[in-house]
Amino acid sequence: MSNPVKVYVVDNGGQWTHRIWRVLRELDCESKIISNTTPIDQIDADGLILSGGAPRVVWESPKLGNCTDYFDHFRGPILGECVGMQLMAIHFGGKAGPSEIPEYGSATMKVIDEDDLFRGLPREFFVWESHNDEVKEAPGFVTLAMSENCKIQAMKHTKKPFYGVQFHPEVNNTQHGEEILNNFAKVVQFRKEAKA
Amino acid sequence: MFDAQKFIEETVADLGNKIKGNAVIGISGGVDSTTAAILVNRAVGERLLCVLVDTGYMRKNEVEYNEGMLRRLCLNVLVVDARERFHAGLKGEVEPEKKRKVIGELFIRVFEEVAHKENARFFVQGTIAPEWIESGVGFRDRIKSHHNVGGLPEKIEFEIVEPLRDLYKDEVRIVGQKLGLPSEVCERQPFPGPGLSVRILGEADPESTRVVREACAIVEEEIEKAVKKGEMSKPWQYFAVLLPCKTVGVHGDVRAYGHIIAVRAVESLDGMSAAYSKIPQTVLERISVRITNTLKDEVSRVVFDITNKPPGTIEYE
Repeated sequence: MSNPVKVYVVDNGGQWTHRIWRVLRELDCESKIISNTTPIDQIDADGLILSGGAPRVVWESPKLGNCTDYFDHFRGPILGECVGMQLMAIHFGGKAGPSEIPEYGSATMKVIDEDDLFRGLPREFFVWESHNDEVKEAPGFVTLAMSENCKIQAMKHTKKPFYGVQFHPEVNNTQHGEEILNNFAKVVQFRKEAKA
Repeated sequence: MFDAQKFIEETVADLGNKIKGNAVIGISGGVDSTTAAILVNRAVGERLLCVLVDTGYMRKNEVEYNEGMLRRLCLNVLVVDARERFHAGLKGEVEPEKKRKVIGELFIRVFEEVAHKENARFFVQGTIAPEWIESGVGFRDRIKSHHNVGGLPEKIEFEIVEPLRDLYKDEVRIVGQKLGLPSEVCERQPFPGPGLSVRILGEADPESTRVVREACAIVEEEIEKAVKKGEMSKPWQYFAVLLPCKTVGVHGDVRAYGHIIAVRAVESLDGMSAAYSKIPQTVLERISVRITNTLKDEVSRVVFDITNKPPGTIEYE
């Protein structure tokens, strides 16, 4: 890409935050990891990925810094991962909380609606998970994928270019993970060109 | 895409600007520390001394082998025999995080002593990304204190230099290849800094160390033989762990009561996630028979670990 898109990684303290940065670099995006307390006016990115992290969404959301501010004011696509997705659902009127059956490691994911994120991918594949909480309800979002023990594995806002994934596309053991992040980067690219 | 050539050029230039005077590197002979040593050697040449610590928790014949290999790479090598210090430091210690802290501190003290003698102000480590990520800082949870990051004492006498900090194992291997390191180094399986001490659950005393060292050697030999014969592909990492519980067995009509060895083998790219290796049953059986026969007085049972990461980690502590 001659004019690479800027996709920054907002660090919510995840084990795989740095992995997201690495995959974006391999996709030739311009990327850096930024603290989740970075003021919105200091972010010059075209798109954001909110990492997962140890904070529990129901009682530790202050640790997620300015993430909700980004939902209100960031002018570009956002992909929320894991706790980033859960916070997104709550912010737009949904519910998230402890999973009845948490998932760690391998899970089979079924794509319901390929939309942008899963374009060109199989309807079913293995993904890597690591979560104690999950999204329970997400009004204003379409559910894009599910697994046996988690009904909302991926979602997209009906009006805004906001996406959420409960699983971890940046992890090497996730099948098609890099393609999913590349699909998100394409959305960012498309939006950037449309704005220009 | 990751550009190893560019990385090497930029890193060697940075190291040359940064390191004034003598430097010491903590080296194990693994791909990370050896690659870091070659980079620093390119930048400052003879001013780098490579310190290989024999902690007493290295694998079978490993210290001699690594020393020879590092000398063949034309590095200045000093081997420090600290076996007694490490064993004494870990005496009675069973809590995994405390074990790692003791080891982290002992390593640094050994390096400080050498650095002092050599009048070196810079201390190089082959730290890679998973180590500082898993050691936790700020609000990132601590999964385990890696000896070279979370295990460091608060007061340290020299400046730490970590040229591979943003890389993962697979990227380090590419850099190593580009630097001309032999495949015996580049393709080596990872081995943790605390060594066999974290493969002994509970107190890492000399006797348990002897048992797990032998079991690790058997796992490595049998898997490498099977790979050579085309029975399986080489796992990312493969080893044995001594579990702190005993089970009943029978040896020649006589009751036996020995420990359990867990065999662990995983597939990974970078160690940040892993799937357990689907090793053929015949290979597992050879491992089991050889361990229980060779170590008959200590081990009465062998189990194979089928946990992915997450939820497990690759090593046990």
